[in-house]
Amino acid sequence: MGMSTGGGGSSLNNEINVTPMIDVLLVLLIIFMMIIPMSRKAIDTQLPDPNPQPAQPNVNPDQIVLEILPDDKYAINKEPIEKTALFERLKSIYDPRPEKIIFVKGDTMVKYANVIWAMDQARGAGVKVIGVAPK
Amino acid sequence: MGMSVSGGGGVKAEPNVTPMIDVMLVLLIIFMITIPQINAGFTAVPPEGQNLKPHPEEDGDQVLGIDDQGRYYLNKRPVRNEDLETLVREIYGVEGRDDYIMYVKAHKDLQYLKVVDALGVLSKSGVRVAALITEQSPGTESLVESDRILGSGGEK
Repeated sequence: MGMSTGGGGSSLNNEINVTPMIDVLLVLLIIFMMIIPMSRKAIDTQLPDPNPQPAQPNVNPDQIVLEILPDDKYAINKEPIEKTALFERLKSIYDPRPEKIIFVKGDTMVKYANVIWAMDQARGAGVKVIGVAPK
Repeated sequence: MGMSVSGGGGVKAEPNVTPMIDVMLVLLIIFMITIPQINAGFTAVPPEGQNLKPHPEEDGDQVLGIDDQGRYYLNKRPVRNEDLETLVREIYGVEGRDDYIMYVKAHKDLQYLKVVDALGVLSKSGVRVAALITEQSPGTESLVESDRILGSGGEK
């Protein structure tokens, strides 16, 4: 008995057991690591002026208007262009151009995803500002 | 000594399940909190794209949702189409806001007409920039250098 009392220090430890806390903290860490990279991504677009000035006589003649037409057809300033050639065409327009502005005008019949695709291509080709043309 | 052997209390054969239960309870609580926020009434599958600008979520972001039926949701609460303009103007019509950006999360197969209608309403109500929420296509990276810097830096 004398021995069990003396040796008792090994079986009775009065430190706090931190293992459960570490487990919980590790799980929390993993969950936050999974959530944080799911940050949102978007394409910024400038909305049309709600109170348009009466049509200015000196409207900028060399603005670029990209039209999205039904059946996956596209046109830049009324000039039809193949879907596959769109990116190269935009790149050849915007590489030398100082003002990286495009106006995107979608036909009312097209799908939203097609318009996003076109805006996406335009951003890839170096466009900085995307304007949504009013209906 | 004979008592300590018969007691058997010092040597336990079963594993200690207390840490596992702790972990499970924490997981349970976290899922209970996040799941209602994730599918709160509104579901839309945004379109996919490649050259996107990261917009880390912040408090105070205003999100307009448009589901596959063309119904509007303002910050995940359903709103009637005719009320949208009033409600958005209450948010953006005040003087001294430091941003006039609104996030638009629209379903990918919607007619563009529905989206452009919504954008028209937003522009009348004082929104200047509409950020069209798009998912990064798997395995792609933006061609725009500033997007990549923003993406890896994590903050605006």
